[in-house]
Parts: sequence; structure tokens; C-alpha cells
Amino acid sequence: MIKVTIKCFSQVKYALGTDEFTLEFEMGKTTSQLEQLIREKAHGKLDGISLRVAVNQKYVPNEVELKDGDEVAFIPPVQGG
Amino acid sequence: MIKIEIVNRPISFFTNDDSVKQDGAELIFNGRVRATEHGKNITALEYEQYEGMAEEELTQLAKATCENFPIHDLFCKHRIGRVDVGETSLHVSIGSKHRKEGLEAMTWFISELKKRVPIWKWAILEDGSRIPSECTH
Repeated sequence: MIKVTIKCFSQVKYALGTDEFTLEFEMGKTTSQLEQLIREKAHGKLDGISLRVAVNQKYVPNEVELKDGDEVAFIPPVQGG
Repeated sequence: MIKIEIVNRPISFFTNDDSVKQDGAELIFNGRVRATEHGKNITALEYEQYEGMAEEELTQLAKATCENFPIHDLFCKHRIGRVDVGETSLHVSIGSKHRKEGLEAMTWFISELKKRVPIWKWAILEDGSRIPSECTH
């Protein structure tokens, strides 16, 4: 089993009602599988919202396999400035 | 030289450095909170960051700007938390030999900031309610 921390911001935080939580699952889970799970937990509140994924505070361009202790964030469109 | 700061307090502007001899242009950009959002009056914007990653992305973006454009200095401060109407949320200073490359670098830096730096904002309406800010200009 591995444990990952999911950080939530902006619309993701609003949709899930929390700014951080942890999940445990068997090895082999990928970022895209985790995104699907997050969207299911949001019950439609993230429909139509594109999410970029960051692992350990770095954007990852493609689907990657998660490791024990990873910090994952699904980044909604950013709005700095 | 690059200086990056993300602060949760009013921004103190970078001071002029009259000892710089190689630059003929010093560009200053201040992004301020407008009084309206989607046609509605607002009292403030509330900024949220992904702590750690936001500053790192901003630093990497500043380095990329200095590599892509012939500029010497890029200093940037971004404010988070509540920023009232009229206050500065973003302060950027760029030093370059001539104005053209400085202006181009400034435009590119701010455009990329709005695409990749994990910072978000909500607009606070006069009745205290919050709506997502969708301004990307």
C-alpha cells in the first residue's frame, strides 16, 4: 500500500470541501486514475474544469505512477496577477 | 539579477538603483485591484497560492524570461490574501539596455505568470459574498 497527500486549491477546494486529505491504495495507481477519483468525489462540481497535475510541487506533463509519500495537486486554471 | 517575493501584506515597491549603469530602461508594472468584476462592484480580491510551488514557478519563470530576452534584472512581488480595491497585487520591475526588449519581456513574463504560477483569486462583493475571478487580461 502507498499513501499520498492531495492538496486542494480554488475550485477543487470548493468542490471537495477541504484543502488537504490523504488516500491509501495499492501500488500502480496513476495520476489520471487519481484525477478520475477526485472528479467522482466532486459530484459534478469539477465538470468542464480543466485540471493540470503537479506531483511534489512540480507540473507533470503526462500520466505518472504515484509513489508512497507523494504530494499531489490537481491545479485548476490559475489566476495570478 | 532576479528577486522574487510572495507576501501576505501590502507590497513595498522596489527602490530605484541609480548605481545601475548598463541599463537605459527601467520598466515598472503595478497590477491593481479594480472596483468591478463581471460588471459587479467589489471590495477586494482574495488571493490564494500553492505555497512553495508558486514561488518556485515564479522564480523559474523569471529565469526563463532573463534567458529568452536580453534583460539584466527582473524583480517581482506578488501579494496573497485579501487585497482591497485600489491596492497593488503585482509589482514587477525590469531593467534592460533598451525599452523594446524590456517591454516585450514584461508582456511575456506577465502572460506566462497568468498561465502557470499556481495562484488563484476570488472577488469579494459588497455584500461579502465571493465569486470566482475569471479575469485573465
